[in-house]
Amino acid sequence: MRTRWCVSLLLPLTAIPAPAWANDEQQQNLSSLSIEELAQLPVRSASKAEEPLSAAPTALYVITAEDLARANGTSLPEVLRLAPNLHVEKLSATQTSIAARGFAGFETSNKLLVLIDGRSIYSTLHSGVFWELHSPLLEDLQQIEVISGPGGTLYGPNAVNGVINILSKDAADTQGALVRGTASANERTAGARYGFKLGDAGAVRVYANYFDREDTPTATGFGPALDESIRGWQAGFRADLGDDASHVTLQGDVFDNDTFIIPGEGNHGYNLLGRWSRDVSGNASVQFQGYYDYYQRRSLLTTDRLETADFEGQLNWRTGSHSLVGGIGIRTTRDEFINDLNAFQLDPRRDRLWIANGFVQDKFALSTRVSVIAGVKLEGSSFTGLEVLPNLRFAWQPNDRTLFWTSVSRAVRTPSRIDRNLTEPTFLAKAPDFASENLVAVEAGYRGQPGRNTTLSVSLYFNRYEKLRAVAFIGSPFPLQLNNDLEGDEYGVEAWGTQQLTPWWRVSAGATVLKRDFGVRPGGTDIGGAASIGRDPGYNLSLRSQVTLPQGITFDAGLRAVDSLPNPHRDGYVEADARLGWRVSDAVELYVVGDNLLHASHVESNDVQRTALIERNISLGARLRF
Amino acid sequence: MAPRLFQAAFGALAAAWLLAAAPAVAQASEQAVKAAFIPKFTRYVEFPPAMQPGTGQPYYLCIIGRDPFGQQIDRAAASETVDGHAVAVRRFADTSPAAVAGCHIAFVAGADDRATVAMLITLRRQPTLTITDARSGKARGMIHFALVEGRVRFNIDNMDAAQRGVGISSRLLALAVQVKQ
Repeated sequence: MRTRWCVSLLLPLTAIPAPAWANDEQQQNLSSLSIEELAQLPVRSASKAEEPLSAAPTALYVITAEDLARANGTSLPEVLRLAPNLHVEKLSATQTSIAARGFAGFETSNKLLVLIDGRSIYSTLHSGVFWELHSPLLEDLQQIEVISGPGGTLYGPNAVNGVINILSKDAADTQGALVRGTASANERTAGARYGFKLGDAGAVRVYANYFDREDTPTATGFGPALDESIRGWQAGFRADLGDDASHVTLQGDVFDNDTFIIPGEGNHGYNLLGRWSRDVSGNASVQFQGYYDYYQRRSLLTTDRLETADFEGQLNWRTGSHSLVGGIGIRTTRDEFINDLNAFQLDPRRDRLWIANGFVQDKFALSTRVSVIAGVKLEGSSFTGLEVLPNLRFAWQPNDRTLFWTSVSRAVRTPSRIDRNLTEPTFLAKAPDFASENLVAVEAGYRGQPGRNTTLSVSLYFNRYEKLRAVAFIGSPFPLQLNNDLEGDEYGVEAWGTQQLTPWWRVSAGATVLKRDFGVRPGGTDIGGAASIGRDPGYNLSLRSQVTLPQGITFDAGLRAVDSLPNPHRDGYVEADARLGWRVSDAVELYVVGDNLLHASHVESNDVQRTALIERNISLGARLRF
Repeated sequence: MAPRLFQAAFGALAAAWLLAAAPAVAQASEQAVKAAFIPKFTRYVEFPPAMQPGTGQPYYLCIIGRDPFGQQIDRAAASETVDGHAVAVRRFADTSPAAVAGCHIAFVAGADDRATVAMLITLRRQPTLTITDARSGKARGMIHFALVEGRVRFNIDNMDAAQRGVGISSRLLALAVQVKQ
């Protein structure tokens, strides 16, 4: 298992009283038992390989279950706004661009690895993520780990600019029934989950999640007037069996949604995943995971089908001052892309790709305070040969509350189907030589608790990109062909921190600043205006206040400021959101949520094809548990 | 299948589950049981007279280093009274002597084994019942939690405790998987 970062350890001194629901009662019951009874109580063991977040030598932000419970968003992309190291641009009711360290844009944010419980969800069509295909029940999520930067050796393909690792709770932690509903002028959602025990050491949950999002109005100067509304559902299950020594997880989802730009279009799909982890000895454990995933998207007279089968194995071994991790992964995809809108086609229209990776990493403790992490990943696809991706990190903990880290790593984005196989009879030729895009990243950071009630994380990075996608004439003048002629440097700072002002009031702030300098490589050509590098705001700022009052009342408010975008110009904007929650009893929670409170509407992207107005929205919600 | 039909079918199915099933009781988590144990240890430990709390003073339960329990242990401690003394939870990042001098019971988890051992050594200057967890590492205090056959159990180093003047009752010793005399 990849290390699961354990955030609760970061702020142990005056943690916000968690909305603990059943936990309160359970702890009361346990406390009433005698020590003899406690010693005989069968327990569900805590998840293993937890490490304190304070020791993570990377730019990692963790969105916890508590954050999710009091977040405004009702969808995955919306709650990812909580991570200060992500840049979220909502284009319309359906489409969102999410980027880390640049390359923002619907088509250009193609350098992230996004995992839901170990299942990779970026598309081999364009290496981006279709966020509208994923609607897990947010109440069932354990945490979302967001790494900005290459993410090191441990994560699989496409972890170039960042990793978003979405983890759902063990089924044993989601027992009983939950029903949630929200309603506003722009959106209705409903969700339900029921969890039950399966024998002595097993638990299962089933869930269903429904959403109905209204069209976002057309923005002046942007976008055609299309009906961007979307309505759909996702349902699924997760079963967990065994304890830490031998644990089996089986889970699956099925979804279907309707879109209305062209009536009758929409998306559907399903997946099934199995994972088995086992302690081989006190110092070693193995894990095997396999999954199958299928989806079909029908959008604007195109049909895109993708079928994925993936298998991974991993070995963790501790000996002396070494912690070794090694693993292999192999994935095969079979896709089909049919375009009835225009003459752009993939050639071949259907294809099978293979993507394989293997890695080994050693964390070596030079002393109690200094450790070196060295790893290498080999990654290849049926489009490319084997790429060697080394990673070297140093971590220095002068005391338990301070960590300094630095790293240098190489990462690549292997070509997508569009990069290599997109063609149009007159205008575009295939690019059979399109190569992987390359990154060498140098990072340094600090994470710690500079004061008793303060946490702070600062990371600096310098990225050197080569072989980024460009386009050139190869005929007279047509056809065009995609090539790898863009390159450039990027550097920036990301910082976030939390101050617990009083036991009931916490404030947090985040900031990212990004500078970029890209151009055509010497001797190269790009006539596309460096389209593939996206259009990034120079800064993103956020401020959040979380107030926890007696009688189960919580009040959260956030403010965010995003720099303007060039070419075409989009104004910078400042927006606010707020949420007032009231836990009436253990069984009932009511809340009122306001999004984008400062303006009637604003625009987040400058994508002229897709951008719509994002409106002020007030919604009411309730959660019932029994 | 038509999505509408599917929606209706699933809705009906979910409703059936909700009606059919009684609320299930979640199995206790490992950490919750440990959190319930720790304040209770106060009852089964005899401290030297100089260390016993004065009238109206609580027993101090210190969480030193990493805190794997969070609010669970606060709630467990709040429900505990030993001979009229409450049990108060205090958290410390490390074992700076002035800060931890008043700890009756200390749960210790450093960044790694060496850090935990260093903390335990500092605490040996005083009659504090030290507790560690196999989940955090190999370093052992007087009481060392371990998971045995799916139950939370512990080892007791009674020799170390006796040398520090901490008396452990036979009732607690009887529950130990192993006692070092």
